[in-house]
Amino acid sequence: MPRRQLLAKTLLLLLVLLVLGSGLIVFGCAQTGAVPRGWSGVEVADGALFLGSMSGNVVAIDSTTQERLWPSDVSFEVKRESGGFGCARAPEVVAIYGTPEAGGELVYAAGYNGKVYAINAQTGALRWVYPREGELEPIIGGPAVGAGKVYIGSSDGRVYALDAATGDRVWVFATGDKIWSTPAVSGDTVYIGSFDKKLYALNAADGQKRWEFETEGAIVATPLIDGDTVYIGSFDRYLYALSVSDGRLKWKFQAGNWFWARPVAADGIIYAGSVDGKVYALRAESGDKVAEFEMGSPVSSSPVVVGDAVIVATEAGGVYSLDAETKQKKQLAELEEEVYAPLAASGGVVYIHSDKDVLHAVNARSGAILWSLPLKSE
Amino acid sequence: MSIGEIWNLIILSPVINILIVVSGYLFNSFGLAIIALTIIVRTLTLPLTLKQLRATKAMQELQPKLLELQKKYGRDRARLAQEQMRLYKESGVSPAGCMLPMLVQLPIWIALFQSIIRVLAVVPEDFLSLSQHLYTSWPMVFSLVPLDSQFLWLDLAMPDRFLLLPLLVGGTMWLQQKMVMPRTVDPRQQAQSTMMLWMMPLMFAFLTTQFPSGLALYWVVSNIISIIVQYKITGWGGLLPAEAKKQAGKDKKYIKHISKVEEKPTDYADVGADIGADVGADIEEGKTGAARPRYQPSLRAIKRHSKKGKRPRGK
Repeated sequence: MPRRQLLAKTLLLLLVLLVLGSGLIVFGCAQTGAVPRGWSGVEVADGALFLGSMSGNVVAIDSTTQERLWPSDVSFEVKRESGGFGCARAPEVVAIYGTPEAGGELVYAAGYNGKVYAINAQTGALRWVYPREGELEPIIGGPAVGAGKVYIGSSDGRVYALDAATGDRVWVFATGDKIWSTPAVSGDTVYIGSFDKKLYALNAADGQKRWEFETEGAIVATPLIDGDTVYIGSFDRYLYALSVSDGRLKWKFQAGNWFWARPVAADGIIYAGSVDGKVYALRAESGDKVAEFEMGSPVSSSPVVVGDAVIVATEAGGVYSLDAETKQKKQLAELEEEVYAPLAASGGVVYIHSDKDVLHAVNARSGAILWSLPLKSE
Repeated sequence: MSIGEIWNLIILSPVINILIVVSGYLFNSFGLAIIALTIIVRTLTLPLTLKQLRATKAMQELQPKLLELQKKYGRDRARLAQEQMRLYKESGVSPAGCMLPMLVQLPIWIALFQSIIRVLAVVPEDFLSLSQHLYTSWPMVFSLVPLDSQFLWLDLAMPDRFLLLPLLVGGTMWLQQKMVMPRTVDPRQQAQSTMMLWMMPLMFAFLTTQFPSGLALYWVVSNIISIIVQYKITGWGGLLPAEAKKQAGKDKKYIKHISKVEEKPTDYADVGADIGADVGADIEEGKTGAARPRYQPSLRAIKRHSKKGKRPRGK
């Protein structure tokens, strides 16, 4: 066989290998992030805004001046992993999904690196880290604070209660699968959902299970406690209303797709956003549908109540004000950036952290974008 | 409709939903679902695979003819190549043909990779996007996700940390390649076959160390299916040394046959010209002591006829 033909065959072989390899890597990655980026919401406390940036830092911002409050952002330690290439490469920064929680003089935050941090809210100094050695499985949900403890769920399926002042572990409760949900604390009970399809009500003091309620799908959403009812959305497309005392089912409502976001309550109406692109307004007592708002894009960001309006952001970046009584949907702003982070509000201003790592402040009444602050560390 | 939407509609979403439902019927095991998907895909692409295998088999059966061509046009490289290509063409063998079944499966690999990332809830962004791929008319899929990533010793979302899977992927691919590797007497063609024999398994073994083991599980099962199908069509092929010997025996017989033909009386002038040209060519190529069997009988014939002082019969 002539040398030219051999060369052509060899080149063809190499080309095919190149196509196979690069096709798998480039196109395989093109439609998937595969690298965790985070979608932390904003915690508002005493005029300060605390949130996790997509650079893997907890930042503190003065809500009036938009200046950084701490000398430097608090950076999370990157978990050392055997990194590959393509989509499987190890992340260079720690993704922060959970919204930080302020409690007293400390701010608590947790990251995908499987660690929980307590930071001095005034100075940005690190107070404690849990665990001190090693790390838990990735933490997706945020911390909840109550009764001198910090509660957090981990992808190892366990709920951890830590001493808020020292970071010492007080108790651990194991569920049957991963936990991505943020706990909700009400009185002396901690409520948390798990991928094992159950919502757990735990004694905040010792972690003993009070009751559990099993749905037909995994639970990622954060529960809402309003009066004597706990509302929880599941991947089985149902929103459940359960009795706080014993977990008895009061009613359930089916949407077209998962409930990912935490619902909100306003004037006896529950507003629940679904990734089917709708927000459902339901009577808190009966679950009867009052209104159904077509949002045109999935809703995975938890809404917020400002005065008598419910503010919702869609994944596509539309910001809307909803009123169930009048069945009115008013567009406030179009961010043109995707939104997954839960919304926060204070003083008539809604804070929205977009997937471009920009923090937007939107007037809840007029929809004017008051300011937009890129969070990338200087 | 964008390319991404078309991709999602016709490939990614069907693969995701089928994997979820199949895993539901297979004891909620995502690993078994991947194996089932592999069998489904390989069954659908079986006609293509069979076509290629038959062409490969035909090529192997062509070896005696190729050998004959080498004997016939050994010195005329251009003519030899021309004749070889003609034979390949007649047998339906395409140089890129062996890659075709693999290329056809490339979209499935990509879809499987994207499915693994989504259904196993590794990265929240990807898992959240899974919701837009689920068929709302299939309520079952909503209660099954996320799927369990554990299968045997593997975390299907991560590369195999015990490195057993890369060995399995590389090993099964090597076996399969070895079975289809055509026997050739051309050292350069042999070198090319050897390169293919090692390059593909090494590359895939390396990829296995980098990509989720769910994808590598597909490769291993696919290779095993290839080996089985290959065995049914061509037997163990290049794997069995005994068969190689048998084939070599056939070749020897073939050479004997050629020799007999060459022993037929020929014209002295022609023989001399042949010998002179051949010796000259050997000297030019620096070959020494490697006498070609085809000319030995002719030399003996020359001597025999010279002693008898007779001209051999014939032309």
